[in-house]
Amino acid sequence: MLEIIEIILTTPFLQRALIGAVLVALVASSSGTFLVFRGLSFMTAGVAHAALGGAALGLFLQESGLIPWFDPILGALLFAVFVALVTGYAGESGIAQKMEVAVGVSFALSMSIAVFLMYYIPPTQVPQIWGYLIGDILLLDNFDVVMLALTALTLVIITAVFNKEFVYVSVDMEGSLAHGMNARAYHYLMLITSALAIALATKAVGAILVYAILVAPAAASNEVLSSVRGVVLGVFVVALLSELAGIASSFAFRASPSAIAGILAAMSYVVAMQIKRHRERIRVSRQTEMKHSRIDRPFPEDKVVATAGSPGDDE
Amino acid sequence: MTESDILFKSENLWVKYPNGEVALHDVDFEIEGPSFIAVIGPNGSGKSTLVKTALGLLKPYRGHISLFGFDSMKETGEIRRRVRYVPQRDRIDLNIPMKVIDIVLMGRLLKKSPPRIASSKDKRLSMEALEKVNMDELWKRPFPELSGGQRQRVLVARALASEGQLLLLDEPLAGTDVESQNMIVEALRRYHEENDVSVIMVTHDLNPVHTLVQDVLLLQNTVIGVGTPCSIMDPELLQKVYGPDARVVEYAGHRYCVTRDSGIDRHA
Ligand SMILES: Nc1ncnc2c1ncn2[C@@H]1O[C@H](COP(=O)(O)OP(=O)(O)OP(=O)(O)O)[C@@H](O)[C@H]1O
Ligand SMILES: [Mg+2]
Repeated sequence: MLEIIEIILTTPFLQRALIGAVLVALVASSSGTFLVFRGLSFMTAGVAHAALGGAALGLFLQESGLIPWFDPILGALLFAVFVALVTGYAGESGIAQKMEVAVGVSFALSMSIAVFLMYYIPPTQVPQIWGYLIGDILLLDNFDVVMLALTALTLVIITAVFNKEFVYVSVDMEGSLAHGMNARAYHYLMLITSALAIALATKAVGAILVYAILVAPAAASNEVLSSVRGVVLGVFVVALLSELAGIASSFAFRASPSAIAGILAAMSYVVAMQIKRHRERIRVSRQTEMKHSRIDRPFPEDKVVATAGSPGDDE
Repeated sequence: MTESDILFKSENLWVKYPNGEVALHDVDFEIEGPSFIAVIGPNGSGKSTLVKTALGLLKPYRGHISLFGFDSMKETGEIRRRVRYVPQRDRIDLNIPMKVIDIVLMGRLLKKSPPRIASSKDKRLSMEALEKVNMDELWKRPFPELSGGQRQRVLVARALASEGQLLLLDEPLAGTDVESQNMIVEALRRYHEENDVSVIMVTHDLNPVHTLVQDVLLLQNTVIGVGTPCSIMDPELLQKVYGPDARVVEYAGHRYCVTRDSGIDRHA
């Protein structure tokens, strides 16, 4: 135990990785949870890839000298917001399926733009675009950690203040509007902050880790836990444990921490499904037991009820 | 504009969906308040559309609709301050593990401004509302795990717990058994009598609320009839809407409509 602490204290990149793990778990519990509630788990992948298109645009504008100050990360954020707005517009009526389609369309559009622009960017620069998706939690620099911390902090504050509104919008959009809440504003606020957080987290720790950590733990917790607060906490715990296990195992043998974390997070969903199915089986068997015991009891009235209720007599 | 005696009014209202479907046309009526109004008509007759337009959730294509004399588009805020709305049950997302009590509290907290903290009064009134529909024992249960009829009762409790002079309920009796139905109707009856509130209730079966309702609005994409329940129970009017199967029977001094989907056994 002491040894581990000593290693951590003397290894800055490990410290950064651990802080990064906590921050990504925070992003997952405050953004991933609400996206899964909203039926929008696909938005994580959509936004991350759309950001790729944005990064390509930024690089193109820089390289071609059209707008030299246009950093690729700006482009990435811009495209992330674009996906959020299209998705939000499709979902103003509160129907989740429509939003999922909008994510798909805007994501495909952004990817096409990325690939289109790649023809006009010097080939040596192209890997930088793809690099946007393959950040690594063990390769974080101080700037990444600060950016990620600011992102997570902003997201956590917004979610802490408006979590009721986000839940209400997800549960009953029309009812929320009709009772006088500005539901549309919260609807967009939720989608845009999530999109920005996803884009920034992707830049820092890479797409694989973000997909795995934002979606699976939330889906798993939502299957088995029975309160909103429980799910938020459950996501944090599952996400953090998967990441820590990922980091730890990358020291034990040659493995990508993101991949291990992703596999573990996905496993948590499988386990949750099993638990849920098991619970349902218990419930069903209990119900059938109850029914049997009722039928087994020899009520004298049974006969009377049977003849009075026989079909054809009720007219 | 200030509040008027006319509770619910529509002038030459047309509502068109983006796909070109004209859900309502030439809708004209005027109903004085306070009242207990039933909006009836077969599936797809525009009942939900009418209610949503009145709340400013849909925009009229032509004409105007108002509640308390407030125009649905120009004075939406005034309307929403006075309304407690229960959408049709299938509009409630069951993907979120909200507890029963939190669903009921929602009716009160939506009327507050952020951070919408529940006071002890909010909690007490919410529990009392749950008692009225006999759901108080299940207050801790996740809402999505309730049966359809139980969920409906909780949603009615949400409206009862909230504040505002008008309860607007879209099909609160859909998918409920006779027991749940009686409980909801009884709760609404008592609430309407004891408090100074009006009720507008969408239903495709008038019979369970027949003796409770003061005004009926019969729709078939336009107004087919407005009046007291017994005057709407006119064989000719009903057959126009529900087809040749509709019959009117008299029972204990009231006229009831019998169609295939409501069946005769319930009233016999
Ligand atoms: N979102 C929509 N887009 C397009 N058309 C719609 C939409 N919602 C309703 N409609 C159409 O408008 C008409 C009226 O629908 P509405 O939902 O108001 O009926 P309703 O009387 O409430 O029916 P039900 O008893 O089934 O609830 C229907 O023909 C329906 O197809
Ligand atoms: Mg309807």
